[in-house]
Amino acid sequence: MSTFGEQLKPRFAAFGIIVLLVLGALSIRLWSMQVLSGDEYAALAENNRIREYTLDSQRGRILDRNGTPLITNRPSMAVAVAPSAKNDDDLLLALSTLLDMPIQEIRDRASSLREEALKPRVVAIDVPMDVVAYLAENEARFPGVEVQTIAVREYPMGTLGAHLLGYTGEISEEQLEDAELEGYLLGDIVGKTGAEREFETVLQGDRGYQRLEVDATGSPRRIIEQVDPIPGRDVILTIDAGVQEVTENALRSALDEAHADDFTAAKAGAAVAVDIKTGEIIAMASVPGYDPELFLGGISQVEWEKLTDKDSEYPLTNRAISAQYPPASTFKAITGLAGLEHGVTTEWSTFYCPGRWTEMGEQWPKWCWKHSGHHNITFHTGVEESCDTVFYEIGYEFYKQGDEKLQKFAREFGLGEKLGIDLPGEVRGRVPDAAWKADYNENYPEYIKWLPGDTVNIAIGQGDLLVTPLQVASVYAGIANGGTVMQPHILSAVLGTDGVPVLTAEAQVAHEVNVTDENLAVMNRALMAVTDTGTGEGAFRGFDVAVAGKTGTAEVSGKDDYAWFAAYAPANEPRYAVSVVIEQGGHGGSVAGPAAREILAALLGLPVEHVQATDISR
Amino acid sequence: MVRSAQNRLASRVSVPLLVFLVLLLVYGAVLVQSATSGFTAGSAMFRRQLLGMGIGLIPLAVAWGIDYTKLKGWLGPLVLLDALLIISPRIPGLSYTAGGATSWLAIGGIRLFQPSEPAKLVTIVIMAAVISQYKGRIEKPADVLKVVGYLVLPVGLILLQPDLGTGLVFIAIAMGMLLVGGLQGRWFAVFGVIMVLAGVLLFALPSDYGGLQEYQRNRLLVFVDNEVDPRGAGYNLAQSKIAIGSGGLTGKGLGSGTQSNLNFLPERHTDFIFAVLGEETGFAGTMLLLALYLGLFVTALEISTSSRDLFGSLIAAGVISMWVFQIMINIGMTLGIMPITGIPLPFMSFGSSFMVTNLAATGMLLSVWSRRYGT
Repeated sequence: MSTFGEQLKPRFAAFGIIVLLVLGALSIRLWSMQVLSGDEYAALAENNRIREYTLDSQRGRILDRNGTPLITNRPSMAVAVAPSAKNDDDLLLALSTLLDMPIQEIRDRASSLREEALKPRVVAIDVPMDVVAYLAENEARFPGVEVQTIAVREYPMGTLGAHLLGYTGEISEEQLEDAELEGYLLGDIVGKTGAEREFETVLQGDRGYQRLEVDATGSPRRIIEQVDPIPGRDVILTIDAGVQEVTENALRSALDEAHADDFTAAKAGAAVAVDIKTGEIIAMASVPGYDPELFLGGISQVEWEKLTDKDSEYPLTNRAISAQYPPASTFKAITGLAGLEHGVTTEWSTFYCPGRWTEMGEQWPKWCWKHSGHHNITFHTGVEESCDTVFYEIGYEFYKQGDEKLQKFAREFGLGEKLGIDLPGEVRGRVPDAAWKADYNENYPEYIKWLPGDTVNIAIGQGDLLVTPLQVASVYAGIANGGTVMQPHILSAVLGTDGVPVLTAEAQVAHEVNVTDENLAVMNRALMAVTDTGTGEGAFRGFDVAVAGKTGTAEVSGKDDYAWFAAYAPANEPRYAVSVVIEQGGHGGSVAGPAAREILAALLGLPVEHVQATDISR
Repeated sequence: MVRSAQNRLASRVSVPLLVFLVLLLVYGAVLVQSATSGFTAGSAMFRRQLLGMGIGLIPLAVAWGIDYTKLKGWLGPLVLLDALLIISPRIPGLSYTAGGATSWLAIGGIRLFQPSEPAKLVTIVIMAAVISQYKGRIEKPADVLKVVGYLVLPVGLILLQPDLGTGLVFIAIAMGMLLVGGLQGRWFAVFGVIMVLAGVLLFALPSDYGGLQEYQRNRLLVFVDNEVDPRGAGYNLAQSKIAIGSGGLTGKGLGSGTQSNLNFLPERHTDFIFAVLGEETGFAGTMLLLALYLGLFVTALEISTSSRDLFGSLIAAGVISMWVFQIMINIGMTLGIMPITGIPLPFMSFGSSFMVTNLAATGMLLSVWSRRYGT
């Protein structure tokens, strides 16, 4: 090394060290990034290039027992908005005008939670073609907005059977936690009520997915993996669309009838028709109804409020299974059978009806609906004429015998508990007893004791007794079926992709009632007399088939009377049972009876005609 | 004698330097081929890069052949050449603007080269000539001012283009040469303070008054805070880090980098080519490159210390400083530990002016080496 080199040796050394430091620092950083954190970066790189898209499965159809489609699918032009657009006020305003929707609603829908965070959310469906064309022509002015063709539910029968069929909507957080719906994701469209909800997992099918490799602009380069969706299965219900239609019309006619009778508060009702040998529900109706179309693509806030407002009569409620009423005189069939079974009465035992009944003491008088009294009256005629006194006497005797035999008998029919129909929202009803009363009035010691009047009230289907229309239909089906109550159900079969059933519902016994054939025959004769010469005579005058039925007029505190009719037919060889209730409809014989007649006519293939009946008895 | 002829040849040629150069050129060619393979004009770009290497052999040979000691006497003309080179893109009819900077020389609209590249080498020779006058001891303020004066001219002109990155390369070259050239330690402290103040001023002033442009600000800020400018500089940096990190130990294979081939990586054949290397060859590949660089520097340092005079020593030190600084800034930028500047990676990045310059610089090293015992 030269002399200057010796002199500058420390300088060269420092220079060399700087070079080594630079290369060393870079090496350490590379070791950290490539070796220590390599997997994390590799995951980020994979995340960059791979996009996974779900491929929605086509939802299964719902058909009636004859294969008539009740719910199918149809394509719809939908406008979807990316969540990123939710803060673009100008864009939202333009969309609001274009789609005729409130800005806030578009914003809410665009920002709804989704598993796929960046996927555009559908904000409007069934968008008119001119709007679609406008959006396509002005794409640049609507960033993040796209038009999609999506499949939505189609209701070929309109509002028919809306309650039992149900509607669909986006999965709720509650449903996401439902064990049955495991694997569902935010944003999935699922059944919310009715059969749509009950058979959700069958109808839904399995979503497929597609894994794509995309470049930096998001354009797909190739498909890495694709799993095709498996369409949902078609479901066949036990419902007969024709009978269902007659049933719904009958309820509406009954409301008109009630209004004509000056029961102007009558706005709601329900009816059930069941096959007594199989438990198949042939028709199930509830009024007022709603249009399931409103829920497609998400129901608007305004419409939702209309359907759930407390002044709305709650049109979304399926009153046939979710509402409970006092059964009134329709319960006399149970009280009567219990009396016969326990030797409290025979077919031709005689009672005395003074009109005002004071057996429990002068301070607790009870009135027969016929204030002038039926005077000497047999059990048979007591059913036929719905004489309250006959059943007060039977109820009072049950009270005196103790052991709550009447309630126990009622429970044998399945009252006071859910029948377990394959629909969501069924309620239990109530068969009151001493234990219930003590518990219910826990904080009111003076009301805890079970009194004679409690049993007497139950005997005529009043007091604290509550039933659903489905329960009443099942009770009459059980009476018609020799004391065997079949499990009510609406599922008939599930179809495989080839149209062959993969699952068929079997008839199952739900309840066996301890009642002799002789006693059932006694009740059968009495119930036939009801429609022949008794309180249901007007409603069934000229009906070609013998009907065993019972009117009912329920007293509900603060309301007009609720009209009931329960029946089975043909009386000699029963096939179907029906129940009809009209809230605040007035008299069972004149309002509910004619509706039951129309439903039975449809069930039995007879001409459906609306009759005017004037019975104002109970 | 054959033996002495061999010895003479061996004494004139630094075999290790040429070996490392060839290895780097091959490595770079393979990398550019991979990085450009996804482009429509990919093969044309690759051929252009090879052409750049071929053309670069001419200045390499010329620089090797020139007796560098003679250059000392050409200080005036060299300063004039330096200024001309840097100003030339500003001359109407000769300029070509790309990437916001007017840094290309063009004739008839055809891009020729970036004159600031050869200007680096001219500046190295100028600074070496000036610094060597002080025989390894620069202490007096007047001397320091004189040295700095020679530096301010090219740097000032470069900053006017504006090309902050290249300006910094000039400064780094000078600093390395001053370190070897014997500038007293306290002056480095003074320069350090001045640099910091200048940096603050650049940041504080609006761009109309000589401050940084918005994109430059973002590039610097993103180095501090990765969240800044997520669609511009922040995106580039994030994608670069993902590319390098995801290479892991052995990489995804040449031509198989998803970050680069699917266009997530910006400027993958030029400024961010190291990210392609990191992604496709992994830690093994990046270490191999750093090892080649290390070999190059050790050899060059050997040349610097073996020079017959301080002038040659300083030329070699200038070349080393230029390379080390560019590598540090370029690789550091792709790793997120240096701010983003448009400084390419020697022998690796696509671009022929840059390639030719680096080959010429190698020729300068060879010139110093081959004349270490006299001419």
